[in-house]
Amino acid sequence: MKILIVLGIGAVVLGVRLWLRRHGRGARPGPADERVAAEERVAAEERVAAEEREVTGRDGKAAVGETGRKERRGPLLGDVGLVAGREVRERLRGRVFRIGTLIILLVVAAAIVIPTLRSGKPAPQRVGVVGSLPPHAEAALVAAGPSLGTTVRVVHEPSLSSAQDDLRANRVDLVVVDGRRILVDKAINPTDTSTTAELVRALAAGLGLQRAYDTAGLSPAQVEQVSHAVPIPVTSLQPSPQGTTRTTSVIGVILIFVMLTQYNTWILVGVMEEKASRVVEVLLAALRPLQLLSGKVLGIGLVAMGQAALIVVFALALAKGVGSSLLHGTAPAELASALVWLVLGYAFYCWVYAAAGSTVERQEQIQSLAFPLSLPMLVGYIMALTVAGTGDVSLFFRVLAYLPPTAMFAMPVLVGLNKVAWWGFALSVLITVVSTVAVARFAARVYRRSILRTGQRVRLREAIAGHAVSVR
Amino acid sequence: MSDVLELRGLTRHYGEITALDDLSFTVPSGQVVGFLGPNGAGKTTTMRAIFGLVDLDAGSVRWNGTAVTQRERRRFGYMPEERGLYPGMRVGEQLEYLGRLHGMSAREAASATRAWLEQLGLAERVDSRVDSLSHGNQQRVQLVSALMHEPDLLVLDEPLAGLDPTGIDDIGQVLIHQARSGRCVLFSSHQLDQVEDLCESVTIIDHGRLVVSGRVDDLAAQGQRRLVVRVEGDRDGQWARGLPGVSVSEASGGAVRLVLEASVDSDEVLRAATHAGRVTEFVFERRRMSEVFREAMA
Repeated sequence: MKILIVLGIGAVVLGVRLWLRRHGRGARPGPADERVAAEERVAAEERVAAEEREVTGRDGKAAVGETGRKERRGPLLGDVGLVAGREVRERLRGRVFRIGTLIILLVVAAAIVIPTLRSGKPAPQRVGVVGSLPPHAEAALVAAGPSLGTTVRVVHEPSLSSAQDDLRANRVDLVVVDGRRILVDKAINPTDTSTTAELVRALAAGLGLQRAYDTAGLSPAQVEQVSHAVPIPVTSLQPSPQGTTRTTSVIGVILIFVMLTQYNTWILVGVMEEKASRVVEVLLAALRPLQLLSGKVLGIGLVAMGQAALIVVFALALAKGVGSSLLHGTAPAELASALVWLVLGYAFYCWVYAAAGSTVERQEQIQSLAFPLSLPMLVGYIMALTVAGTGDVSLFFRVLAYLPPTAMFAMPVLVGLNKVAWWGFALSVLITVVSTVAVARFAARVYRRSILRTGQRVRLREAIAGHAVSVR
Repeated sequence: MSDVLELRGLTRHYGEITALDDLSFTVPSGQVVGFLGPNGAGKTTTMRAIFGLVDLDAGSVRWNGTAVTQRERRRFGYMPEERGLYPGMRVGEQLEYLGRLHGMSAREAASATRAWLEQLGLAERVDSRVDSLSHGNQQRVQLVSALMHEPDLLVLDEPLAGLDPTGIDDIGQVLIHQARSGRCVLFSSHQLDQVEDLCESVTIIDHGRLVVSGRVDDLAAQGQRRLVVRVEGDRDGQWARGLPGVSVSEASGGAVRLVLEASVDSDEVLRAATHAGRVTEFVFERRRMSEVFREAMA
């Protein structure tokens, strides 16, 4: 699992690096970074000329200056890395983040530990025995323990009255008198599912059966045969739901939702604050909008993935430690799919929220934006939880699993229910990746056109068609 | 080789409004160039265009004859009209970050931050949050962010706005020093008369068009003569009204500022003044930049 996370982060870093190499400074900007055509054409021609001068070394000053500067550029990923580094530092420093992570870890711990507590090993049962008990009956009595998930200890009582005393004083849980009757302290309710009650029922039935065998005069061989009777198998027309993996996929979907909501809000507010504080104009004097935007989503994304990795590693270690069944069977594969979709979901939505953040500059404007933005996520999330609960996969839900805004919730659930082939999964990933590229371009365009327009909230129509203040 | 910034035919429309109208001028290195004009003249749009923050309809910004790209902009320093820093970030950290965005190494950025904060008397505020500083000190930090990477070109949009006299002196000294060390320095102001002491040359624009451009000494010496006269008992300069070829351009603080046509003999003016009362001041003055602007527009 750790390898997956490392690979995931590595892939992101590598991807951005490659992209940067193509779009880096000095290179011809991509369509998402279009500038004024007139300026750009001239600039491109002259850049080529300048670069040629540098290569041939005719312009000594420029060449020295430029290489000198290149050597000084230390950080990974250059400017994007600088911006991302600042984001990571600022975010990790925040108290909200630390407390939030702690709360998530506590919730995860509770989800893993509490079920094992309930099904965990109950206290050993002490059974008082008064009078004689046939040896095979005593063996059966002890053998009843493991089937109820407990151990049975036999306490030989010298007399009935001492057994009653022990029972009252809670030194024994029940008393078998002469193998003919069972004595308990309090009457046992039919709905009582405590270990003692289960043991009492099992012993009552078992010893009764034993007496019936004895009365019928069965030979030990016959008794052996009869007591090994097993129930005939029951099969259903519909496959039984896989309880464990279902729980895992529900946890995965909740994790994706909580984290996407948190990190998208960071981006929305972060972009808005840079606009509101006007620092963005200082930054954009040195950076391209796409570099600033990429650094921001990369930095916050790294924090998100780090947090997710921490949670997953913590959950795995804890589950292993307490012997939880949550991560058995297909659950690890499912957890991996949840992580993949967390990355994809973040990659898809981060651009949308960044673009939205660039159109506003006040807190109350944020609130009016946040709800409509979160609607598709909300729909996907609720549908995913419902389907994970019922196991009924509708056609509508299958469609949702291939739509980028909801795929990150629907697809992990399909994986959990084992209702999607590998190619379906791959297709959905592909659709999301392709749409993410398109969304990123669109978002960069809106961002460029909105980020320096202060005062009123920028309408989307203006931002797209916008013939107003725009960046490069 | 000395550097030069060249703006050629900048044109920008916002719907019906023309922000820049075929505006061209140059900023040579080694001197402080004042970029003047009333509010809404297009100064901020021009400065944003230098940093590629505005899509131009036409025209180009050139540095030493080559169109400006991000590579050149990294070697520019910019102080926008709307000041902006991360409010919650510490002063030192903020400056180091901005320095690195301009291509400095971590170590260079740290030592430049220290040196500049020292010079502007903010050394002990290095770990303060930016929003805990006074307005003037935030402005100083903003200035440091614009010039800590020793830019080839320094562009400051209204750097003196809202400053007290000490602040104006501080920033003025820095600008002059920057220009003396061979950089191009362009700064804007809508208060035309505030900057005469600071800059060697000015470019004045209005409605996105160039009004006049040149050396301050030349512009101030051109045009009609200015005469400041103080006559006891006549604060409004009633005595001067009606003198042929003489107009009162302003009356303030008990003195009048007169504009004399070429044909006027100043001795005649002095005689009229002594006739009106005791003359306590009689001085020829240079043309102010606001007068240069008004007369060019007339």
